[in-house]
Amino acid sequence: MFKKEDGDNVETIIGPSVQVEGNFVANGDIIVEGTVSGSIKTEKNLRVGKDAKIFADITANNAFVAGEIQGNIKIKENLELTNTAKIFGDVKTKILNVSPGASLNGKCSAGDEHKAKFEKADERGQKASRDKNYLAPEEI
Amino acid sequence: MYLYLYDSFLNNKKYTALLAKTETRLTDLGIGGKIFRLSPLRNVAELINDEIRSGVKTIVIVGNDKTLNQIINLAVKFEITIGLIPVGEDNKIAKALGIASPEEACNILSSRKIERLDLGKANDVYFISEIAVSSGAVTIECENKFKVNTKAKDLVKICNLSPLSAPAEQSAGGFNPQDGVLEIMIHPLKADFWQFLKKGDKADKSVIPFKKAAIKSKIPLTVATDGQKILKTPVAVEVLPKKLRFIVGKNRIF
Repeated sequence: MFKKEDGDNVETIIGPSVQVEGNFVANGDIIVEGTVSGSIKTEKNLRVGKDAKIFADITANNAFVAGEIQGNIKIKENLELTNTAKIFGDVKTKILNVSPGASLNGKCSAGDEHKAKFEKADERGQKASRDKNYLAPEEI
Repeated sequence: MYLYLYDSFLNNKKYTALLAKTETRLTDLGIGGKIFRLSPLRNVAELINDEIRSGVKTIVIVGNDKTLNQIINLAVKFEITIGLIPVGEDNKIAKALGIASPEEACNILSSRKIERLDLGKANDVYFISEIAVSSGAVTIECENKFKVNTKAKDLVKICNLSPLSAPAEQSAGGFNPQDGVLEIMIHPLKADFWQFLKKGDKADKSVIPFKKAAIKSKIPLTVATDGQKILKTPVAVEVLPKKLRFIVGKNRIF
């Protein structure tokens, strides 16, 4: 996750005095300290400052959020919400890190694990006996 | 074959010795060529046209940022190499290109390290470094995808090389004239003394890359290209990637 000090490597900075409207697509890291409405998409990292207000759907690789986001968030890897973060929308990410005090209002899906199938006890027994009766080709 | 274009301000006697020394050095290095002195009475566009037709492959501009801006706007349509010998004051672009002094410029011309640089175009005017919008709220529509709205007190610039107003050292690594994009740079002006004292907050400024944009405003605002030519909003801005073949120094900032 990138930190504020890494500002030199950041390609896009939306400062506190600036308002961006529309579909914002960037190839590099983005720092938002101002207001964005529409959508934000980056293949790299997104950092949302404490005073930032985003009224947009977000797609990014990693995100560090300290401000307010009204929209759905889709993060490929790591989403970090600080204690000042306010999210009003659905979240989908691989790794979710929430600080105490963060506000999250919406559906949340974290991790890429698949649900285990429920099997009844007798089905499980049948399966075990099937496995026991199975002979490997070299045993025949 | 080299063509040396001297700005008219170099007719001042205080530059005579410096120019003589520079010419000697160029001859020693074996890169002497035709010399033309610019003057308001001479049609520079015609001159460049004729010389390129007669085989000139490299134009060396002798003067300052203003001379560079003037010649680039005339020579951009030709596939030629541009060199620069900075003389006089106001040579920020030369410094950013790694050309600090006339003596150094001679050696740089001799070593002939050519880089292809992006060029900005604002309406029909070309710029190598930046354009600056006078104070006033503007809307910048980028590639018909998104709009950037600024406040009246914001300082708005479109940068290719480095901000002319900032020392080259400070902006090192900030803007690359070879990345195929221009950057909108928005800097909120400090409103009061305490804000002025608060420095070093990088997130105060905005930097937004783009390839094509339109600068619009409710009232017409002035736009200066490379601190020279003045345009009025609305202005269409675009980047012309790798348009310029330039002889650069090794201490360039990109």
